[in-house]
Amino acid sequence: MKATFIAVVSAVVVSAGAAVAEFPERDLQGIIQWGAGGSTDVVMRAVTPHAEEILGRSVVMTNRTGGAGAIATRFVASQRADGYTLLMGAENPQTYKVMGLGDMDYSDFTPITILARGVPVIVANTDAPFDDFAGMIEYVQANPGQIRVGSTGPGGVPSVVTAMLESAVELPMTAVPYDGDGPAQTALMGGAVQVLPAVMGAAIENIRAGRVKPIVLIDNQRNDLLPDVPAVTETHPELEKFLPWGPFFGIFVAKDTPEEAVAKLREAFGTSAEQEGFRQLMDDRGFVHMNITGEEAEDFLTRFQSVTSWLVYDAGVAKNSPEDFGIARP
Amino acid sequence: MHTTRSKRPGEDIFGLATLAVSIVLLWQSYEISGFSALSSPGSFPMACSAVMVLGSLLVVRDNVRRNRQATTTGDRMPIITLTGVIFMALILAYALLLEPLGFLLSSFLFLMAGMMLLYRGGVVKTLGIVLLALAIIYVVFRLIFQVILPEGVIPERQIMAALGNLFGGAR
Amino acid sequence: MEALQYFLISWLDPWLVFLLAAGTFAGIYIGAIPGLSVTMAVSILISFTFSWQVNDALCLMIGIFVGGVYGGARTAILLNIPGGPSSIATALDGYPLAQRGEAGEAIGLSTVMSVVGGFVGILALALAAPSISDFALGFQPRDFMLLAILGILLVGSLAGESLAKGVVAGAFGMLIGTVGLDPLTAEERFTFGMVQLWSGISFIAVMIGMFGVSEVLFQLRHMDKVAVKQDLSRIVPRWSSVRKMLPLSLQTSTIGVGVGALPGVGGDIAALMAYDYAKRTTRNPEVPFGQGAKEGLVAPETANSSAVGASFIPMLTLGIPGDAVTAIFIGALFIHGLNPGPMLMIEQPHMFWFIVGGLVLANIFLLIFGLTGIKIFTRIVEIPKGILLPLILLLSVVGAYALNNSVTDVYWMLGFGVLGFFMKEYGYQVGPVILGVILSRLIDENWRRAIISEQESLGSFFANMLTSPLSLVLFLTVIVILLSQTPLLGHARRALSRAK
Repeated sequence: MKATFIAVVSAVVVSAGAAVAEFPERDLQGIIQWGAGGSTDVVMRAVTPHAEEILGRSVVMTNRTGGAGAIATRFVASQRADGYTLLMGAENPQTYKVMGLGDMDYSDFTPITILARGVPVIVANTDAPFDDFAGMIEYVQANPGQIRVGSTGPGGVPSVVTAMLESAVELPMTAVPYDGDGPAQTALMGGAVQVLPAVMGAAIENIRAGRVKPIVLIDNQRNDLLPDVPAVTETHPELEKFLPWGPFFGIFVAKDTPEEAVAKLREAFGTSAEQEGFRQLMDDRGFVHMNITGEEAEDFLTRFQSVTSWLVYDAGVAKNSPEDFGIARP
Repeated sequence: MHTTRSKRPGEDIFGLATLAVSIVLLWQSYEISGFSALSSPGSFPMACSAVMVLGSLLVVRDNVRRNRQATTTGDRMPIITLTGVIFMALILAYALLLEPLGFLLSSFLFLMAGMMLLYRGGVVKTLGIVLLALAIIYVVFRLIFQVILPEGVIPERQIMAALGNLFGGAR
Repeated sequence: MEALQYFLISWLDPWLVFLLAAGTFAGIYIGAIPGLSVTMAVSILISFTFSWQVNDALCLMIGIFVGGVYGGARTAILLNIPGGPSSIATALDGYPLAQRGEAGEAIGLSTVMSVVGGFVGILALALAAPSISDFALGFQPRDFMLLAILGILLVGSLAGESLAKGVVAGAFGMLIGTVGLDPLTAEERFTFGMVQLWSGISFIAVMIGMFGVSEVLFQLRHMDKVAVKQDLSRIVPRWSSVRKMLPLSLQTSTIGVGVGALPGVGGDIAALMAYDYAKRTTRNPEVPFGQGAKEGLVAPETANSSAVGASFIPMLTLGIPGDAVTAIFIGALFIHGLNPGPMLMIEQPHMFWFIVGGLVLANIFLLIFGLTGIKIFTRIVEIPKGILLPLILLLSVVGAYALNNSVTDVYWMLGFGVLGFFMKEYGYQVGPVILGVILSRLIDENWRRAIISEQESLGSFFANMLTSPLSLVLFLTVIVILLSQTPLLGHARRALSRAK
């Protein structure tokens, strides 16, 4: 206890030591959109310590959950745009407009870095009566409504992937909603659902252990971690226009943050994200390491929003039309 | 069971208020999604509020029954004493001032006022206890658990940074 | 033999032993303060221990976990304010014990029994992890729903003077639990257009308010009452009283293992169910339940401690968190380059036995730290109320604020505090409200998942429920408890005899 205390105090004191009057003059605050232990939380807690060293200040991280990240997003937007409050989030705000969760998205923020992107993969329970995508389509079409597919609510990764597939083939499955991809994977292993569009990072260990079987990768190329799993574009090239697509993690500050602060933050987090340890972490978990910023990041965000918004809208799960917000069709 | 407990002032009104609230909640749950499907978001809230309405009705019935046979005057001690009212007012003021004044200042004022009201020790002694308690709470929550308490008028982070520069030197 | 070697890693390294001891000690106090939670402490440790060795980080986290779950009992017994959700049931009979001047013995007994429960949990983890996790994985949505309904029947035990009032409180609690954006469809429920309500009302805020603040307001009316003199001559419980409780504690520990191993269900529900079990099965308690029955203290304390070990079962065998704290452990393993998942036990077998070894050592330290220092701790109740009450209120405010760093939670906490005060005055218990809030989402979501899976057909819902062995057992238990144990039958019997 005492040791912890001394260590913490000295960590605070030491990390607080830097030249005055230059950004950052005081500790920063990182607002994480998702709960402790989730993938966003873990990625942010992994990338931040090294950035703290470069900044010379601590970044106090807080989880502000709720409303699919909307609570945290609104909070950061309401703070002074001085670069001291960071939004550590996932892809969700890009669908708020069409899902009716407010009129905010990442265009109200300046990206510091988009760290990594996940690759979706369709996984199935080991007892499912098919082993590949063609077999799955055949079985589902022959038994409409019998196959249960896990979902994480409208706008979540599974619902977008399902919408994407349904734009090419008819797949009459029953969607059973879960609180997140963790509980949905548990349900998949227990047989409560037979199919789940998951993020590769979250499914890879279960695939390796043979607890679930991979069906098809939702990407335009195969992945080194699962070289035997075909990419969906091999059989359905018409999906090419949506891909690559995947949920991402990024760090943002409010739009009007001074250039100096943005530059300093980009340097700190950009360097930290290039570290060998962090890259390794992303690779092992099947995330595509990106670490992009500036215009490149903004283009990525715009494209993501356009693909996703139109997919969920065409699938009939969106509340508003992307047209109302001037989101162009991909 | 404690069925002998005598009725407290305001119990009838509380029972009726519960009934009213539960009816409003039932109506609100119906508004969520009506009777659209068994799996609709409103189905469970509707079931709960219906149960709550039934329960409240039973409570009101029991109250009425008890009123009829009530003979004991029982514990007529008012539920809230003057001290209680003042203390509640202090709590309310504290809650409202927490953000504008900041944690340290508002808590200091609240503790001082609260302890002066309830403890009636000397000012110096109370001051000592309050400062000690605040210091411990600040260290535990703000420094160890890194809970960013409302800063308000005291620029804590600047002071901490200045202290850091003083002891840690520029790095 | 290799297993033993891995098991002893933390025993043989003085630094690891120290970290476990420090973690357990800190955990007791973190757990005891309402508003400081184990989850919070462990998640801060993740970035704090980022640069450490993984073993060091794990030892500190294990210590805090074990100490923290136990620590909540301290304030529950002494002040009637549970330090965390796992200790809600502990307050029910623990506080009356303190009111009788037996706080010292109550804490001593809770310590010994926590350690007993802790060892049962570890034993289950060490010997049967793979089969228990397969069993837990077999739980379908309808089984979770039935389990939660089993939990909600506890209202009968918690209702106090009037079952109707208990039902009102329980239903109200469940409604509180549904406030916010519906997690399954993102539909707004009871939000009245307020964005602050989107994420719902934090149940910890409700808990701190209903127990902490309402207790403060309640005590204000009895300022003149002299604090009960505590008899501290005996802290370490007599062997005879431990032995008497042993059969019960082994049964309730088993409940803790079963419930704790289920993904997404934790020690809080385990403790409440164990309390209910003890109340239903103890024929002749020395003191009635609710007035200081030792059985009512032993049951939740053994169950929440055995749930600690059990929550590691799905985590270590499948990479699935058993509760909120093990979810963060998974994050920690991930950050330190181990890949938590079904392969962990095969590729990193030392991790499993290392954690088992750490848990054992932490429980030994728990016994030592738990039985020393009680005398000083018990002094809390002897602090003049004029000083204690404002301090409790301040801690409640800070604790509620710390949940999400927002004042909104503080307002909710205070609002529910005032409501809880009036409820207590008018003979409603606050226990059923908290129970409702805890179980609300479990029932709501799993009912909907189950009925969606059956394509909205009630017929096949019941057909499948009666043909699955697990569901059938749960369903029959619900029916049996409903018929035989709740006062319903008593009412019916009385009504019948009146009719004759």
